[in-house]
Amino acid sequence: MNYFFHIIIMINIYIVLTVSSNLLVGMTNLLSLGQAAFYGIGAYFSVLALTTLNLPLIPSLIVAMLATGVFSLLLALTSLRLKNDYFVLSTLGFQIITFSVLYNWISVTKGPYGIPGIPAPKLLGIFQVSGIIPFLIFSTVMSLFTIFIFYYLINSPFGRLLKAMREDELALITLGKNITSLKIQTFAISSSFIAIAGFLYATYVTYIDPSSFNLDESIFILSALLIGGLGNIKGPVVGSIFVILLPEILRFVGLPDSIAANMRQIIYGLILIILMRFKPEGLAGNYRIK
Amino acid sequence: MLLIQLLINGIIMGAVYSLASLGFAIVYNTTKIFHIGYSALYMIAPYFFWQLYTKLGLNISLSIFVSIILTMIISILIDKTIYQPLFIKKSSSNVVTISSIGVVTIIVNVIAMIFGNETKILNSDIANTIKFSGMIVTYPQVYQFISSIIIIIIFFIVLKKTNLGIIIRAFSNNDVLVQIMGINILRTRLLLFGISGIMIAIAGLSISYDVGMDPYIGMPMLLNVIVAFIIGGIGSFAGPLIGGFFIGVIQALTIWMFSSKWQSAITFIILIIFLIFRPQGFLGKKEREV
Repeated sequence: MNYFFHIIIMINIYIVLTVSSNLLVGMTNLLSLGQAAFYGIGAYFSVLALTTLNLPLIPSLIVAMLATGVFSLLLALTSLRLKNDYFVLSTLGFQIITFSVLYNWISVTKGPYGIPGIPAPKLLGIFQVSGIIPFLIFSTVMSLFTIFIFYYLINSPFGRLLKAMREDELALITLGKNITSLKIQTFAISSSFIAIAGFLYATYVTYIDPSSFNLDESIFILSALLIGGLGNIKGPVVGSIFVILLPEILRFVGLPDSIAANMRQIIYGLILIILMRFKPEGLAGNYRIK
Repeated sequence: MLLIQLLINGIIMGAVYSLASLGFAIVYNTTKIFHIGYSALYMIAPYFFWQLYTKLGLNISLSIFVSIILTMIISILIDKTIYQPLFIKKSSSNVVTISSIGVVTIIVNVIAMIFGNETKILNSDIANTIKFSGMIVTYPQVYQFISSIIIIIIFFIVLKKTNLGIIIRAFSNNDVLVQIMGINILRTRLLLFGISGIMIAIAGLSISYDVGMDPYIGMPMLLNVIVAFIIGGIGSFAGPLIGGFFIGVIQALTIWMFSSKWQSAITFIILIIFLIFRPQGFLGKKEREV
């Protein structure tokens, strides 16, 4: 049963990651390879807030979200003038630099040794969120919260503006909208919600090291999002469930563990190629990336 | 003294970056494909060589020749089966980039599944060295430098003196006009991917002969290649040379001033500085977005 709960917790974490990335990739058509960097920044700031500052759950979460939001502005300000491949490249650069700092700045991040023994966050001074059932509840609440916020955002006037911008920037400029500020807001919202996933991951696993937040993880998050689909809530949710369940299904099929990990990656790669060729909007999305 | 030695190493590495980056330029300048699959070709060539030379015991020059040819064929197949159908469908650049990520994922994991994740050594002897006035250059470094320079020179002779060179230059200038002139650009593309495959195969072989390889060496190399290409100047064929040597020397200076572990971070900080202040690179022409 714990195994089953574990899978649901992982799905919840990826739902947070993909639903918030969708705002950037699906609603604004900014393909980012730097999502794992935000995930990592969120996780490391969560740990900082929980251990060094010794804060309870909600303040720690807010610290992590704010800090990640601030870092996203750093990327937004440097990359927003760039288009298509150049934009992808600058997010890739951000990913590499962030990873390099997490990995090499040993006096602060403990580098490749990682940070073990992350304490269970305290909620309202009474509950300790530790053990699998409380985590199941906590992560489900957080993923539902994220889904709710982004559902509201996508269907709000703000969401309609984003849709208009991704279809035709020029038209929006002529209507007197400030598209740079719109994009910066998207960046900040999307990445500060990714910090929630970082918080969930750090407190659930109770150990973080930079290898969980490398370029491969960025590609994985993006794959989950693209497989599921862009532009609505259903797409990212379907994608997260798919990429977390697929390895488990492969395990039941009886694939030996030595090749299972590679086989899984090969299947993701194949699905990406096939989807891009025949169904660029993904399994359940409603937007084709441009 | 150390500085001069590091600069020599940097220039040798720079020659390899130049070659690899030229191969990337041949694809990007003409087809505008952000060819992330290129990283897989860099890694696959030494694996072919390992299979032929170490496993099957073929002689060394035949093994080198056959592995270059096989890499070239894979490069052509990637274009034929993945990129050309997307080109015919007029897919957007992000769709092509994502497919390219899918290609890398598949090739890297197939290789990891067949050959394992561990580092393989191609040349287990202690390298012979050439010493002059206190500087040391190893034989593998000599091979790296000479093979890169020879291929680069051959390419520039082809580019300036032959019909094929004219087509390549015309293609990188305006692909629609090339089609109007009655040149089959789909077939020309295969040729270009072939040339680019040969170049990256030689870069991959010469580096792996020195330091060995594992299935994941491609991506770090590709990142250097892309940075060299961008700061050299998109659209130009001399740009990658300047960019390649520039990155080689900068990385040597990074070792001298900080430590080798900050190489990738410094490389990308330079890229981001270029993207902000001089996105056209050293030699590129400034283009205005329409």
